[in-house]
Amino acid sequence: MRAGPVKQAIMAEFALSIRSLAKRYESVEAVRDVSFNVSTGEIFGLIGPNGAGKTTTLECVLGLCTPDSGSVLVQGADIRATASEAKSVIGAQLQASGQPDAMTPRQALRLCASFYRRAARPEDLIERFLLGEKADARYSTLSGGQRQRLALAMAFVNEPEIVILDEPTAGLDPPARRELHALIAAQRSAGRTIVFSTHYLEEARSLCDRIALIDRGVLVAVDTPEALLARCAAVPRVEVRTRPSLAEGDVKVLPGAVGCAYDGQAWRIETAAVNRTVTALAALVESRGAELLDMQIHRPTLDDVFVELTAAGEK
Amino acid sequence: MLRGYLYHLQLTLRLNFASKQALVYGYLVPLFFLIAFGTVFRTGTPPLLHEMSQLITISALGGACFGMPTALVAERERGLWRRFRLLPRATVPLVASTLTARFVLIASAAVLQIALARLIYGTPFPQHPALFAGAYCFVAFAFLGLGLLVAALANDVPAVQALGQCVFLPLIMIGGVGVPLAVLPAWAQAFAGFFPGRYSVDALQAGYSGDGGGLSLAYNLSALLAIGGAAGLAGAKLFRWDPGHRPPRGSAVWIAVALLPWVAVGAGALGSGRWRVAASPSDRAMGLTPAQIDSIDYRGLPPDDSVVTPLVRSIDGADSDQRARLNDLSGKLETWAPGRVPDATQAIRNLLCVAAFADLNEDPLEGSIARVVVDHLFAHFQEKQLTQSLAWIVLHPDDGTVPASMPELGLPGDIDGGIVRERSILYAKKVLGRIRGRLPN
Repeated sequence: MRAGPVKQAIMAEFALSIRSLAKRYESVEAVRDVSFNVSTGEIFGLIGPNGAGKTTTLECVLGLCTPDSGSVLVQGADIRATASEAKSVIGAQLQASGQPDAMTPRQALRLCASFYRRAARPEDLIERFLLGEKADARYSTLSGGQRQRLALAMAFVNEPEIVILDEPTAGLDPPARRELHALIAAQRSAGRTIVFSTHYLEEARSLCDRIALIDRGVLVAVDTPEALLARCAAVPRVEVRTRPSLAEGDVKVLPGAVGCAYDGQAWRIETAAVNRTVTALAALVESRGAELLDMQIHRPTLDDVFVELTAAGEK
Repeated sequence: MLRGYLYHLQLTLRLNFASKQALVYGYLVPLFFLIAFGTVFRTGTPPLLHEMSQLITISALGGACFGMPTALVAERERGLWRRFRLLPRATVPLVASTLTARFVLIASAAVLQIALARLIYGTPFPQHPALFAGAYCFVAFAFLGLGLLVAALANDVPAVQALGQCVFLPLIMIGGVGVPLAVLPAWAQAFAGFFPGRYSVDALQAGYSGDGGGLSLAYNLSALLAIGGAAGLAGAKLFRWDPGHRPPRGSAVWIAVALLPWVAVGAGALGSGRWRVAASPSDRAMGLTPAQIDSIDYRGLPPDDSVVTPLVRSIDGADSDQRARLNDLSGKLETWAPGRVPDATQAIRNLLCVAAFADLNEDPLEGSIARVVVDHLFAHFQEKQLTQSLAWIVLHPDDGTVPASMPELGLPGDIDGGIVRERSILYAKKVLGRIRGRLPN
């Protein structure tokens, strides 16, 4: 893309820069003052529940909707001035994007490729996205996973520098989701910048370098998954089920325990020191002659982080 | 860049031919209309010559105002057009490529209809092929423009059907496309001047049979251009790429822009007298004056007992077998469709042709058959109507159509339409002469 010296400097650092983005649909404020940067080569996740504003944000980046205010810079250049250039370096997979029933994946990829100066060979994409078996089959005969892989292949048809994926795994069964995760992760080695939205928080944790949490149109936090987890005030939790059940007096005084509750079947013990608590718990069960039926350790997840941060936002 | 648009055009055509539904609506339905028209109008001379422009208009209208918007809206609902917006190239040529593909499809359906009409009914090819092709381009432009507007306004595929019917049905029923103008009441004929169908039929007919060229053709083509251009402009302005988007504010203004030329060309045509309410031949026959009727010369008519146009005084002398056959014919005439067409003059002409046919076939009962026909005429038409229509037939020998065969009446074979017409006029004179007291009854 064309860019001045200052922009070139930004280009080196950020593939995508979103500044004070705002978009309203009649009475609904879809996105409010959203700002974040995505570095070149980064896999960046946009996380939030349905209706949080993820798709609106991505549509503003893709030029599918016009923001009411704010700007989107692609490699340092405002997309309003360089829409065509921006589109040639961006590849995108949209939600609910189908093909005519009679069209084959090969035809869809060829059609898409024919509009770019620089484009991948459809045959290579078919191989890379595991569509060989169905390359010449009618779109109507493709499974949900195969359709999603085709949509993903179309996002890579122009050998893009930036790839935007809107809920790429939505509606897929776990094996198909894992397959797509592997395909997305494989793009990291090609040095591409990938921005994707999802409401599966663990999916984002395993794939992303950084994550932006968005809720009701507002950006709640942007950080690495580890840093976000570290922010979480929640502590690990040990759940234990014995016969007969342990006495409250014994459980309360376990080393590291900061709180406990019994639900009629199992004790839930919040702990600041998992190792010490679990070791002492095992000894306690043995000393009371009880039978250990089940014991599980739950560490805080991004779900906890999200709930905590959005609850803080509400307050 | 061009590569992409050309591939899109090629792919759109290929996918159309891979779709059974598209083939049924694109080719089978036009074929059905051809057969339907052929069944009703095959007795014309030549058959279907004056109906081909109606048939081709119906096919173009269906393909452009139903087929094209249905495909466009279905693709929009699937997010295909939203996906196209991600391309770095302009998206408008993609719409143009879709319109071009549809033009190829409807034009190929028209060619198929022309070829099959020739093959099945012997309908001649267009007399002025270049003029016909040019007029067809204008017709397609007008209807594709309307189709684009329908696609822009319809939220989903069922809405295309509803909106398409709003255009299709009035054009077919009172727009001079499906029902011939001559059989419509005067108000409907005047109304038809505000619809593009009438201009389409007349423009195509100019290329098909040479009727209505010159200034009239120029007006028809200008009307189609204005209607298509305004609808296309409104359609482009209101076009929606995203299935989630609804028609924008100000849609009503663009719909008004699209309809403005309908009003303008209709008012212009009526105001200038170009579209005088078309009188059916019967109406025109009723306009003949007694002086015009009395000017008819009956000299030189073959005698009733000669071999040319024989006419017996009565069928009382027929034996039982002959009487049975004549009674059978009389019964069949009661329900014979060409003898019951709404245009009374044409119905009378068709009935006279029955007598002419028997004469030319040298049927052993030719004179008696002529008597059955004459009796049928007197029994089914008022004397005033019969007088005016017979006079019109004699004074306008080339008007209307004549049946080429009538096996359904037990009269076999095909006879040259020119000779049938000639004999039917002689019979017309014989009947008229008797009514006017100029021939012995």
